[in-house]
Amino acid sequence: MEINKVLDAKGLACPMPIVRTKKAMDTLESGQILEVQVTDKGALADLTAWTVAAGHTLLDHKEEADVLTFYIKKS
Amino acid sequence: MSNKVAIIASNGGLFDAYKVFNIATAAAATEKEVAIFFTFEGLNLIHKQAMQQLPMPEGREHFAEGFKKANVPSIPELVEMAQELGVKFIGCQMTMDVMGLTKEDFIDGIEVGGAVTFLEFAKDASPSLTF
Repeated sequence: MEINKVLDAKGLACPMPIVRTKKAMDTLESGQILEVQVTDKGALADLTAWTVAAGHTLLDHKEEADVLTFYIKKS
Repeated sequence: MSNKVAIIASNGGLFDAYKVFNIATAAAATEKEVAIFFTFEGLNLIHKQAMQQLPMPEGREHFAEGFKKANVPSIPELVEMAQELGVKFIGCQMTMDVMGLTKEDFIDGIEVGGAVTFLEFAKDASPSLTF
């Protein structure tokens, strides 16, 4: 998987991971992939819901140590 | 599906501010059109001076440490972010008149209007929220 941009949103509390993800996504083009790293536990449900609401595709996510990583493909 | 979120902010404490601006910024970041109607104590949330030091509920002052630890953004930061994301702020004209406040007492970029201004926006919004 080719990652076009990596967003480090670790240590940020709600709603910042969502706001930063939106801003990062705005800089990408359709079909490109954003990797988002967060430590906010609420982001698992939140970023998943955001991806659906914004019309993008959540390709994958993983949890390692305390870091959640999401791979989102821009619509 | 509605693409609008309408919020009434009618309370002026720090917790109220977080409830209002977290939902507003999250909605705006999810491509929603968002308007907040600030009325009565809710006007504190966008008052130039008051917004810098909003009170915690009595007896809950110890949460200040928790806010810091959780790395929660400050209210002025959230307000700036909300405006950057296009959230519309409407100050209630009637309350401002009652309290002797003018548009200059508030942060830049707000609109001043009456109940109908908000109702027009909110008529096809979903959800509409009150804090």
